[in-house]
Amino acid sequence: MSRTQLTRSRPGTMSRALARDRLGAPAVLFFVLAGVAPLTVAAGVIPTAYQTTGLTAIPAAFLVVAAILAIFAAGYVAMTRYITNSGACYAFVARGLGRPAGVAATLVALVAYTCLQVGLYGALGPAAAGEAAAHLGVHAPWWAWALAAWAVITVLGLLRVDITGWVLGVLLTAEVTVILAETIAGLAAPAGGRLSFATLSPTGLTSGGFGAFGVLAVVAVLGFVGFEQAPVLAEEARHPRRTIPVATYAALGMIAIVYAGACWAMAVHNGDRHVVTAAAQQGPGLLFGLGGGALGQVAQLLFLTSLFAAALAFHNVVWRYMFALGRENVLPAALGRTGANNIPKTASLIQSATGLAVIAAYAASRQDPMTRLFFWLGTTGGFGIILLLTLTAGAVIAYFARHPHDENLWRRLIAPALAAVLLAGIIVLAIEHYATLLGVPPGSAAARALPAGYAVAAVIGLGWGLVLKIRRPAVYAAIGLGAHAVTGQLTPASQEPPQ
Amino acid sequence: MARLSGTGLIADDLYLMAHDDVTGRPFLQPRAVGLGLAGGLLAELMLLDMLRLTHGWVVTGDPGQPRDELGCCVLGLIASERELHPVRDWLAFLARTAAADVAVRLERAGYLRQTRLGRPRHGGRWVPADPDCAFAPLGRARSALGAAGAASAHATILAGLAVGSGLGQRLLPYGLPDSRRRLDMALEQLPPGLRELIAQTQAAVDSALLAHRV
Repeated sequence: MSRTQLTRSRPGTMSRALARDRLGAPAVLFFVLAGVAPLTVAAGVIPTAYQTTGLTAIPAAFLVVAAILAIFAAGYVAMTRYITNSGACYAFVARGLGRPAGVAATLVALVAYTCLQVGLYGALGPAAAGEAAAHLGVHAPWWAWALAAWAVITVLGLLRVDITGWVLGVLLTAEVTVILAETIAGLAAPAGGRLSFATLSPTGLTSGGFGAFGVLAVVAVLGFVGFEQAPVLAEEARHPRRTIPVATYAALGMIAIVYAGACWAMAVHNGDRHVVTAAAQQGPGLLFGLGGGALGQVAQLLFLTSLFAAALAFHNVVWRYMFALGRENVLPAALGRTGANNIPKTASLIQSATGLAVIAAYAASRQDPMTRLFFWLGTTGGFGIILLLTLTAGAVIAYFARHPHDENLWRRLIAPALAAVLLAGIIVLAIEHYATLLGVPPGSAAARALPAGYAVAAVIGLGWGLVLKIRRPAVYAAIGLGAHAVTGQLTPASQEPPQ
Repeated sequence: MARLSGTGLIADDLYLMAHDDVTGRPFLQPRAVGLGLAGGLLAELMLLDMLRLTHGWVVTGDPGQPRDELGCCVLGLIASERELHPVRDWLAFLARTAAADVAVRLERAGYLRQTRLGRPRHGGRWVPADPDCAFAPLGRARSALGAAGAASAHATILAGLAVGSGLGQRLLPYGLPDSRRRLDMALEQLPPGLRELIAQTQAAVDSALLAHRV
């Protein structure tokens, strides 16, 4: 006869046993970096950014934005110590700036992550089509490959498959290794035989006018999207006070070095003056060409897996947002229901339907997928994340003004205020120069419509929040509580134990 | 010997509901099953007034010993802790081994048997000894979806934990069209501590899902 496992537990050891099961800083860092999908940015975003914006100070932008986000992170991770919620940003905004602002923030987040997810099909399709034509002799349009990827992601989403564990570990390690190898190869073969540091200099950020910084900052933030996810694991962290900050800062540092290095190498290898032209001619090949040969081949294949992993990761981020909002009843409750194997089918299918509609619309209108789908929606997603971070910085200030706890002045006021001002400055510059960001003539409809979409989402969110306040006070009270909406508590341990 | 009336223990009924009555395969992710069963084990002790829940903290209640070894073990571990812990921590702690522990209890009671295939200790194969007895808990939980006041506390807690851990689609279609609302009304009749336990169990399952841990 079998024996229960619990009888083997030694009395008084619950906390230690539980701590063993929780995540340490390396595991949280790994989770964050996995969502970042480095090769997607290095081979997809950076060359397209060089081409579309025509600006060359992208390496400096990565370093400066990393510093701004590090300042932002000081207050952000401090707030994680008091509010543990899987949808960190919007939960913070709801607590700091009020529940209607929280609903506005969550809709902004939903639009941003959706843009990031569906935009990836615009790179997946052409990349897969190119590989299939070159190596398999299969000639199919980009949208056919995008639809194939969409179908696989839809099925995996319904099976609730996260690419986790060793698969993601191998992919991530391989991607970073390839980027570093390409970077070293590029730096070892500089154009004209001279290593130029010009693109790393912060002075280059404003060389094309002050607005250039706003444009470059949006591109750079796009590379860091995912770093804000560390607090999602706060409830699972072994030492939330230490684990989450360590993982967040480590992720920022690593991302900054890898991306700044890669795009610096592209500029060095092709020459500062020619990198924009080279990017227009080569696209993702701008990175693959640094090392050439077998390294380039491996990088191209990994680019595909990276895009796919990123698309699946963002698909899962979006349905998790919808699920949390469904649980809170802020969005229809059906989004918060799960079926067999705890799969929230409705939320997952809605995101899939959005992806299908966007691919179909771009295919029907014959628009260039790489610039108009991948880069336009990608950067618009990045812009939305900046909006979200700015709101969050404001929320951190407001929250700590009411509940100072034992946080020092830097974390509860100076850092978030500085971050809010800098991020708001980036937003203003980006809106003014959105046409440059998209590579379209000033005043074009897309340059107005894409950022304006967030204003619409925010207004709808604010309005819906106020409607809930009047019509459904119980739902209103639970806004921002996420999974804890059912208990009505921020965290179970937010109160002192009874005597 | 297995009987249609079951063992009378909530976690046992929940285990049978969460697994196929013929093959023994789980309907939920392992962590969700574990958290639901952990809630069931705590609920059993709360029904005996040996445990209480106060603002999310687990405290020991009346002196005494439960009838079963697993219940004694859970109570002993909680009593042996020097300081109080929130129910969320106890759910997470018990969830680690709850599925295997409850399966052993059901095996001893004659409701499950081990197959030669698979590794029971590693999420493997316990198979219901009698599919009818394994299906019966669904009928018991169903009573919580009917007329107000008709269900026992056992049935209501069972239904609440089942829906909270993700078995809503399996249970609710057996009730009336507004079964979710009826379940909410039945849950309202439970003592506050048990209501809180069910809510905390659901929150733990949802949190794990949102944190990519289910």
